[in-house]
Amino acid sequence: MAGIVTKQAKAGARRARGPRTPAQIGLVLIATVFLVVFLLLPLVVVFSEALSKGLGLYFAAITEPEAMNAIKLTLIAAGIAVPLNTLFGLGASWALAKFEFKGKSFLLSLIDLPFSVSPVVAGLIFVLLYGTQGFLGEWLADNRIRVIFAVPGIVLATMFITFPFVARELIPLMQQQGNDEELAARSLGASGWQIFRRVTLPNIKWGVLYGVILCNARAMGEFGAVSVVSGHIRGKTNTLPLHVEILYNEYQFAAAFACASLLALLALITLALKSFIEWRGHSGS
Amino acid sequence: MAIEIKNLTKRFGDFTALSGLNLNIADGELVALLGPSGSGKTTLLRIIGGLEQAEEGEVIVDGANAGTVDIRDRRVGFVFQHYALFRHMTVFDNIAFGLRVRPRNERPGKDEISKRVHDLLKLVQLERLAPRYPGQLSGGQRQRVALARALAIEPKVLLLDEPFGALDAQVRRDLRRWLRRLHDEIKLTSVFVTHDQEEALEVADRVVVMNHGKIEQVGTPVDVYHRPATPFVYAFLGDTNVFHGRLEDGSPVLVGGEPPSEKQETARMYVRPHLMDIEHDRASVESVPAKVMHINAAGPTVKVELETPLGEAIMVELTQDRFLELKLERGTEVFATPRQQQLFKKDDYVI
Repeated sequence: MAGIVTKQAKAGARRARGPRTPAQIGLVLIATVFLVVFLLLPLVVVFSEALSKGLGLYFAAITEPEAMNAIKLTLIAAGIAVPLNTLFGLGASWALAKFEFKGKSFLLSLIDLPFSVSPVVAGLIFVLLYGTQGFLGEWLADNRIRVIFAVPGIVLATMFITFPFVARELIPLMQQQGNDEELAARSLGASGWQIFRRVTLPNIKWGVLYGVILCNARAMGEFGAVSVVSGHIRGKTNTLPLHVEILYNEYQFAAAFACASLLALLALITLALKSFIEWRGHSGS
Repeated sequence: MAIEIKNLTKRFGDFTALSGLNLNIADGELVALLGPSGSGKTTLLRIIGGLEQAEEGEVIVDGANAGTVDIRDRRVGFVFQHYALFRHMTVFDNIAFGLRVRPRNERPGKDEISKRVHDLLKLVQLERLAPRYPGQLSGGQRQRVALARALAIEPKVLLLDEPFGALDAQVRRDLRRWLRRLHDEIKLTSVFVTHDQEEALEVADRVVVMNHGKIEQVGTPVDVYHRPATPFVYAFLGDTNVFHGRLEDGSPVLVGGEPPSEKQETARMYVRPHLMDIEHDRASVESVPAKVMHINAAGPTVKVELETPLGEAIMVELTQDRFLELKLERGTEVFATPRQQQLFKKDDYVI
C-alpha cells in the first residue's frame, strides 16, 4: 500500500515538473501552435494593422462622425438589450429553478432558441414581422413607426440574440443552490421581495455579473441579425461591427482595423472581467 | 402552544404521504416523530410549519387554524435538515435576519437587535463566532447557529428536521442532551423528526412512531419501547428476533427449530437479543437448537450470532459473565431460549 502511494506521489511530482516524453512535448507544441495561429496572431494583427498608418490616423478613424455614430448606436443597442435581458434572465431562472410547473421544459428550450437559430434567420424573422411587407408592417406604417432599417429593429435583433445569456448562466447555479435558504428566510418571516433581495440575489450576484458581461460582449459584437435589419444607412443605422465591414469593403484597411481594434479591446476587457469574476465567485463561496 | 392535528391527508401525485392523521401535542411538550425514510414524518413537520399544504384536514396551533394564518405571522421556528444557513451572511447576520425583515413598526432598534443576537449566541455557546461565515464552522456549530436563528423570532413552536442527522456520533450525543436541556430552559413546544430510535427515546417526552404515512403508536419512550402496539414498532425500536409459531388456547407454541407451515402459523413471537439466553441443554419446549456463527465480545455486552439448522439467524446479547460461564466458541452447538417475548397474532402483522 505504502509503495503505491509513493509511486503515485513520484508520478505527480514528475508531471508538475513539465513534459518529458516525446509524445508529451509534441502535444504541448501542437497546442501552442494552435493558440498562436488562431488566437494570438489575429489579435496582434488587428492592433498592428490599426496602428500601421500612425497614431494620428488611428484616432481620426475612430473619431470621425460616422464611426462615432456607429459607436453610439452600438452603446444604445447594448444599453437597452443588456438590462432588459438581465431582468428577464433573473425572472426566468428564478421561475425555472425554484418552481415546478407545466410547460417548464418547453420554456427552457424556448430560451435556448436564439442559440440554435442562425443570426441571419433571426434578422429575417424580424423583417418578416415588422418590414413594410411584413405581418405588422401596415399597422406600423399607418402609425409612422419605423422598426426595420431603423434603431428599434437593431435593438430588437440584439435583444433576441442575447436573450439566453443571463438566464442560461443562472439556471444551473440556482438549481444547484436549491430552495433551502429561501424556505428558511420565509419561515423567519421575510416577504417575497426581501427573500429575493437579501437571500437569492447575494448568492447569485457573481453569476449575474458573469452573464451580464457575456451578454454585453455579444450585444456589442453582434453582426448577422443586426446586418439584416439595419439597412446599412451610414451614420444612422450602422453599428460598430457593420461599420467595420463597410470600411473594409471600401479598402480603408487601417480605418477598418482601427474600429475593429475597439471591438478587440472590448473582448480583452470582457475576458479580464470574466476571469476576475470567476476568481471572486470561487473565493467568495 | 398546543398543536392539534385533525384528519390530515397529503398526496404527491399518486403517492399518499400522509393519510388521515390525528395527533395532539400539548403545550411545552418535546415530541419526536420517528420512522423510516418515506414514512411521512418530514412531510408532517413541514405541514405543521406551513412550508407545505395538506389536501385534507387541518392543523390547529393555539386554537387557531394554522392553514389560514400567513407563515410570516405564525411564529414557527424551523431548523432545516442541512441547516440552510445564509452562506453569504456572518453568523451574526444569520441570527439577526428574522428580526431585520420585520415590518418597520415591529422591527427592534439596532442596539436591541445586537443585544438579542448576543444573548442567543450565549445561549448556544457560540459567542466568539459572531463574525464568522457558515462555511468556516463545523457541523455542530452550524446546527447551533441554525437553532439560534430559529429562536430569534421568539417562536411559539420549534420544529426541527433531522436535527442531528448530519453530525458524527459523539457530537450527536452531546448536542441532543444539550437540546433537551435547552427545551426545558426556554419552555416552548418542540417537535423534531428523526429516524434514529435511540435519539427519539432519549430526548423526547413522547414519541410518535410513523410508517407509510400513518401513525403506528404514540406514547412515552417507556411505552413504545416496552409496550409496542404493533410488530412494526417493536422491530423499529431495536434489534429483533422473530419466531414463527401457532396459538393453542391463547398461548404460543413454538416447536423448536421447526417452523409451522403457512396455514398453521397464527402468531409471531418477537424477542430482543438481550432477552434471549443460550444454554448447552434444551431448557424448555421453546428452545431452538442452533450453532454459534460469530461472537463479538468487544463492548459492554457480548453479541453472539447463531444459526438454526434451517439457516435462520438469531441474535443474542449476553453479559460478559454469562458468556465466560458458557465457554462459547465458534461452531458450538447450543440452544437459544427466549426469556421474555412479545406476541403478535396473525391479524396484527398482516398488512
